[in-house]
Amino acid sequence: MTAPVLELRGLGVGMPTAAGPRALVHDCTLEVGLGESVGLVGESGSGKTMSVRAVAGLLPEGFTTSGAIAVEGQDLASLDARGRRELRARRIGMAFQTPRAHLNALRTIGDFMTEAMVSVGGIDPDIAERRAVELLDEVGVPNPERRLRQHPAELSGGLLQRVMIASTLAMDPRLLLADEITTALDVTTQEEVMAVLGDLRRHRDLALLFITHDLALAGAVCDRVVVMQQGRTVETLQAATMRSDAQAGYTRILMSATLDTAAPASDPMPVASEPLLDVQDLQKSFRVRAARGAGHENLIAVENVSFSLPAGGSLGIVGESGSGKSTTARIICGLERADAGAIRVGGEDWSMPARSGSGRRARAKTVQMVFQDPYQSLDRRQTVRQCLAEAIRVHRPSDDRPAVTARTVELIDAVHLDPGLLDARPRALSGGQRQRVAIARALAAEPRILVLDEAVSALDVTTRVEILTLLERIRLETGVSMLMITHDLTVIRRLCDEVVVMRNGRVEERGETGAVLDDPQAQYTRLLLDSIPREGWVPQRRIPVRTTPIPTIGMERRSRRRWR
Amino acid sequence: MSVGQLAAKRVPTAARRLAGHDPVVVAAVVVIAIVALMAIGGRWLAPYPPDRLHAGPVNGASSLAHLFGTDDLGRDILSRVLAGAAASVTMPVIVVLLSTTLGMSLAITAAWLGGVTRGAISRLIDVIFAIPGLVLAVLAVAMFGKGLVAPVVALSIAYIPVVARLTQSAASRELGRPYIAALRVQGVSSIAICFRHLIPALIPVVAAQATVGFGYAMLDLAAISFLGLGAQPPAADWGSMIAGGQAAILSGAPEQSLFPALLIVVTVLAVGIVGARATTWAEEKER
Repeated sequence: MTAPVLELRGLGVGMPTAAGPRALVHDCTLEVGLGESVGLVGESGSGKTMSVRAVAGLLPEGFTTSGAIAVEGQDLASLDARGRRELRARRIGMAFQTPRAHLNALRTIGDFMTEAMVSVGGIDPDIAERRAVELLDEVGVPNPERRLRQHPAELSGGLLQRVMIASTLAMDPRLLLADEITTALDVTTQEEVMAVLGDLRRHRDLALLFITHDLALAGAVCDRVVVMQQGRTVETLQAATMRSDAQAGYTRILMSATLDTAAPASDPMPVASEPLLDVQDLQKSFRVRAARGAGHENLIAVENVSFSLPAGGSLGIVGESGSGKSTTARIICGLERADAGAIRVGGEDWSMPARSGSGRRARAKTVQMVFQDPYQSLDRRQTVRQCLAEAIRVHRPSDDRPAVTARTVELIDAVHLDPGLLDARPRALSGGQRQRVAIARALAAEPRILVLDEAVSALDVTTRVEILTLLERIRLETGVSMLMITHDLTVIRRLCDEVVVMRNGRVEERGETGAVLDDPQAQYTRLLLDSIPREGWVPQRRIPVRTTPIPTIGMERRSRRRWR
Repeated sequence: MSVGQLAAKRVPTAARRLAGHDPVVVAAVVVIAIVALMAIGGRWLAPYPPDRLHAGPVNGASSLAHLFGTDDLGRDILSRVLAGAAASVTMPVIVVLLSTTLGMSLAITAAWLGGVTRGAISRLIDVIFAIPGLVLAVLAVAMFGKGLVAPVVALSIAYIPVVARLTQSAASRELGRPYIAALRVQGVSSIAICFRHLIPALIPVVAAQATVGFGYAMLDLAAISFLGLGAQPPAADWGSMIAGGQAAILSGAPEQSLFPALLIVVTVLAVGIVGARATTWAEEKER
């Protein structure tokens, strides 16, 4: 039997601290055979990225490793620095989560693709360029010759990720390390990229180590799955039978978090027939710099969007990036001004953002919003207590200190946050804890509508389940209406009575959640549903390829410079 | 707790944290403390009345009686340096405070309102930027008479662009962050967002810039006094003392220019070092 392409035996990674190295990874053991695909699954902080970076030699300065890393039977420790570099350059390719951050914005795709071939492989630049075209073609990048002369900013995220993968293939590696390569992509794009990887493995006998937090995705595209938790490998499972084989409690939690597609058991809420929020023919466009030339284009973000949300109801708006779902939410919250259309809330006209401070405060009592990124939506200088007290005082300016304190504790209690964290700043909190603070802050106003803009998509799967459960309970207890903005259909299924599917600023389909998700009418809804990784899922390349993410109309060229 | 007590408690802690373990920074902090002490109590620390003629020999060299020597009128240079510290140090501080306040106000207004207002403020700042500070100060003296008031006001205006440009980009960045949008949705008033969230976020950047501004202001004011447009005799600041000692350098008594010049160099250097450290500190805190 030949040696596995990659073998990790008791790999440990230590982070240097003042008191000596602190172990981030202890005893990570796995192997990847020729042509095999292994998923490395775990939540943030589980050490999966550190382990892979140790293989690729990309650990930060001062980090130490223990244990053994062997590539094609050759122990990395037995080689000198030069040998290790050669081995990594020729045998291992690595793709990252954010291709845009890993590409030099000032150089062309061609420069990027040929650089390694010319400087490491010593290949003639002309030949390297022909090879680059072949590689881009192989990963399904349309028009490869033209792409070589384009800059990263001109390509969509999905295309860039493919460019990245193509570049790793330049040296014909035996092993591809893929670190959360689809996490930042839309589901349909994720499917495209996964399909590309599947083809590559078939054609090249490429071994793949696929790092992800999504157990369902790993299960669908890998042969084996290694689950990691807090720096340890918890268990290794055959992907095909992982549902029944899983022993560790942690794996089961991960599974229930990602694979659970069943509708919630709770009874539907009593819903009033009068709409609390009524949106009619909403329109919004932005002036953006033209893709080519010096002119400006009008980007239509939201076009003729109408929906209504009954008091106590729960509506989901689902769509991919660029679908206009977040813009719609921001207009309702008064953060953007609609070009046309009407918004009525509780019988009042809200089509325009409030002009005065008192108007904004009055609206804040009705509509509150929870933002996507709890790392960004809290003031990093404020403690939890200050943050909540500020939100409380907006609506109860005459309350004395004990009343505010009592209310703060009440809110903290409502979101199940440890009162001991009241004097902590956001930096000291985990993602889930921060999002709890953000929810508590929104509840301070006792709103009638809670707008949740991708409120759980930045969180780990287990945390996501906790927050969703919390939201479910809050809805039952307070009867608040919820408007969920998300790209994740499983979130919709869990929390929403009704759903609106948006694409490119337009409503594609709407209806009751069960009806839409179980029997989708629009082709796009079906595509979204098919793109969700699940058991027996085979990613497919779909034609036409999504290369034009956002349509623009009304190209206008202006020579006159505007002030902004 | 009074403001004074609070400052008394907070300043040393901040200074200690700022200095860290770097001996150069510690030395710079010590120098600043000494200079500050001279500025506050120099007049009382002076061994002789600073304006007394023939307190010692004419153009006397350093001695035990006159540590820094004496000038062409026999005045004690140490006493004059100590007495001049107040003007030499306070005036740049005023320049920094004024230009920072004005610059921040303009920058925040521009970043907040955007559109035409931002355009107008940006052009105004461009215009001010085109006029060298020293020229503006000399012009102010020509119009409003000699003394330190006119140059201080002129320099304060001249330094606005540096502060404003820095602050405006920082403020625009900060205003674009989701937490500001979150505060708006909560119904927090614009004034509260500005004073409770925006300005505290800008303080580290502005404070670091202020230390650089202090150095420039001190040098520019010294230059103005050197030209005889600033502090008027018999009063003296360090700049005018350098000018006064010029003739004595040729007659072999460099002390008269040397010591005030040294003090300017050391002060500017110390503030610069602390400022550089404060900038890295602010950056570390940002992360």
